[in-house]
Amino acid sequence: MQAQIRGSDAFSYLAVTLEPGESVIAESDAMSSMAADLDLQARMNGGLIAGLLRKYLAGESLFVSVFKNNTPAARSMTLVQPTPGGIRALDLHNDTFYLQPGAYLASTEGIKLGLGFAGFVSWIAGEGLFRTVVSGSGTVWYGAYGALLDKQVDGEYIVDSSHLVAYEPGIKLKLQLAGGLFSSFFGGEGLVTRVTGRGRIVVQTRSLTGLTGWINPKLR
Amino acid sequence: MTYKVSVTGYATPNAAAAQAAFAQAFKITPEKAAELLTTLPRTIKVGLDADTAERYCQALAKMGLNAEHSHHDAPAAKAAPSASATVTSAAVPAAKPAAAAPEAAPPPQPRAAAEQPGFQFRIDGAPDFAFLTVQLPANHSIKVEAAAMATMDTSIRMKTKLSGGLGRLVTGESIFVNEFSADTVAGEIGIAPGAPGDLAHVYLKGGEVLFLQNGAFVACDPDVTLETKWQGFTKGFFSGESFFLIRASGTGDLWFNTYGGMIEKEVDGEYVVDTGNIVAFTEGLDYKLEKFGGYKSLFFSGEGFVCRFRGKGRVWVQTRTSGALLAWAEQYRRVGKEA
Repeated sequence: MQAQIRGSDAFSYLAVTLEPGESVIAESDAMSSMAADLDLQARMNGGLIAGLLRKYLAGESLFVSVFKNNTPAARSMTLVQPTPGGIRALDLHNDTFYLQPGAYLASTEGIKLGLGFAGFVSWIAGEGLFRTVVSGSGTVWYGAYGALLDKQVDGEYIVDSSHLVAYEPGIKLKLQLAGGLFSSFFGGEGLVTRVTGRGRIVVQTRSLTGLTGWINPKLR
Repeated sequence: MTYKVSVTGYATPNAAAAQAAFAQAFKITPEKAAELLTTLPRTIKVGLDADTAERYCQALAKMGLNAEHSHHDAPAAKAAPSASATVTSAAVPAAKPAAAAPEAAPPPQPRAAAEQPGFQFRIDGAPDFAFLTVQLPANHSIKVEAAAMATMDTSIRMKTKLSGGLGRLVTGESIFVNEFSADTVAGEIGIAPGAPGDLAHVYLKGGEVLFLQNGAFVACDPDVTLETKWQGFTKGFFSGESFFLIRASGTGDLWFNTYGGMIEKEVDGEYVVDTGNIVAFTEGLDYKLEKFGGYKSLFFSGEGFVCRFRGKGRVWVQTRTSGALLAWAEQYRRVGKEA
């Protein structure tokens, strides 16, 4: 399989070429174009209960689409995410990574999608009560709104709520006020997430709250 | 059309292995590679053709790095890759891109301002979703648009200040500007403006004055004074955005953002900008609002009113207007308007 992230940060998309017999799993609705003879199969996302939980709690869909190349030659397709923004690829070798609700885009066979309880801290911080847990061996593609930046955390770091996209299991989330009581509520920052531990986090450079804060005053 | 190749992230959890592979392929020391790959995305090659760029990406993928290539306008003033980088890239034997020696010092692609006085900073994600990271030395602080802080070190403290007085209340922006300070130890702060678009940086030398369109302010040195300036009824009324401009004066860094891309234009003489596209301009320019091409075009061309700048100075123009976005999105809105 060959996969490439193309397009600019604003409108990234994933171009996948499947060799005969290969398949790729994608969030339902992610396919934007494909060779006509690729086979599509909708698969319940890890069983009915798990799928339903993922749909309602982690912002993913009940079904995922499996695209399989049953032809004797290579076939191509493109996958897109719903929000404007960047896409990232992540190779896993028997390890685990946490994605924020809605960030999952596609993966290779061999990647297991699960639902993890992210904790009330995550929920109050606007990051969702649950998170998508990707594990196994293979590649997973995820995306978010804005450009994506990597940050290696060793110790503590503060991320405004709704900017966190993905993080390694070594990272724990804590909640705190952005400043003093007055500042936090009148300064527009409110609660922020304090990430602690050692590992990589991925941050999106824009947030939905930032977008609405910009555009809402202009709407009549 | 030339392409640039950027490393955007690690495809493997083993960052050290990827850095080692990178160091080996590009014949640099592992320390150098680690340093290069600490802050991502990092542009490593510019001025490539499409095929070569593609091969670079594949080679980088084998090292466990996510890479992407994108169109790149070589002479773009902002990206400012060194001239030598382009020359080296052109001489790369196309057959083995990974083995090609990189530029001795790959240009720090996210725009940095090491040679400038003021704070160390970098801009990532430009031009689509530009994100500002400022390094605050100990005992220094920075003023930031309310709600724009996205990340920061735990050593940084936040204070909320009423800035600009009542004027800012009327500009439609939050009247609060937050001040973030590194009290005892240095730290970094990441700032994400609300609108999708680019960021610009200006270092105001004492006495220089810049006018910002309402809403364009992102961050500044505490020694930069922000005031709102009444544009007058005629200018304000027709400029669409608001009756107010933000007047920035003093000494220090100033960052402002656009919706859309950003064009910086030196004006000597006269220059005309649609009112919705103005982001900022220097004080030396006189500006006058005028109707564009008579009443007929006012109603039928969609241009309406424009701003005519006169004099010597600089104008920053954004490549999209929020008004056009709203007009386009309005037809899809399904909110109850009677409320």
